[in-house]
Amino acid sequence: MSGIIAQNSGRHTGLVKTSSGGGVWNLLKTLTASGDSDLSFVDGTDGVDFSSYDEHVFKFININPADDGEEFSFNLSTDGGSNYNVTKTSTFIEIYHFENDGSAGMGYGSSHDLAQGTGFQKLTSNQGNLSDESGSGELKLFGLNSTTFIKHYISDMNSVYFTEYQQQDKCAGYGNTTSAVDAVQFAFTGGSNFDGTISLYGIS
Amino acid sequence: MPRYHNINGNRVQFTEAEETARDAQEQAWLDGAFDRKIARLREDRNRLLSATDFYALQDVSMTQDMTNYRQALRDLPEGLTTVEEVEAVTFPTKP
Repeated sequence: MSGIIAQNSGRHTGLVKTSSGGGVWNLLKTLTASGDSDLSFVDGTDGVDFSSYDEHVFKFININPADDGEEFSFNLSTDGGSNYNVTKTSTFIEIYHFENDGSAGMGYGSSHDLAQGTGFQKLTSNQGNLSDESGSGELKLFGLNSTTFIKHYISDMNSVYFTEYQQQDKCAGYGNTTSAVDAVQFAFTGGSNFDGTISLYGIS
Repeated sequence: MPRYHNINGNRVQFTEAEETARDAQEQAWLDGAFDRKIARLREDRNRLLSATDFYALQDVSMTQDMTNYRQALRDLPEGLTTVEEVEAVTFPTKP
């Protein structure tokens, strides 16, 4: 992985090739949200391909909501984006540090996990909406095209909590479906419009 | 102002039914603001309490300042009834 970063630092386009023995990161699609209510990647058109790779990675760059205190989140669809309601079970860990150094710690985010829930999976916690506040990170999804196994996901995000402290959020879980996932949607929990860039890579 | 889906980079305006549903979602979110914020305050408070739990072990001495700090944390949510009150809360300083 170090080879990828060293050779491609700052790149957002093009084919990213690792050294011998590694995989290849194929940039499939970059979408830019600009005051959008939700942002969806739907398989089969516009370069979005969820069926040809065993691993997909979404990279989030400066996701900034219009409203304060909402959570960036995602859901999965097995019907081409008509319904985003795949059943999911997950865990969520929050790691934080106040800007004034007043407190730092780690805890389980019991209000952010899911137990066979069909709602959106939160990826951040109570994000701030000031013009310089944002969340960035990544979400990995595995075996989306499988019709045998459930769909594992792992995310790692860093953001500014709305009361001005740094927070890292780590989530892992699975979509409890053996149907192929063919669309992924991102939105904020309260319906806030948002800005930001999301890139989708297929790992071959 | 109309809302938009962004689907593979194509902006699609919400239908009237979608606008109504999203309005309801946003209102529900607003209506639940106090419950969310007080729950969050308790989560944050509990983390701070957990960070000093070891002072309560039998073979560790807890200072009066630490006792007061932990009591202040436990008392923090008491009497709060509005979002504004929750947002105005200042955590006590750890001794």
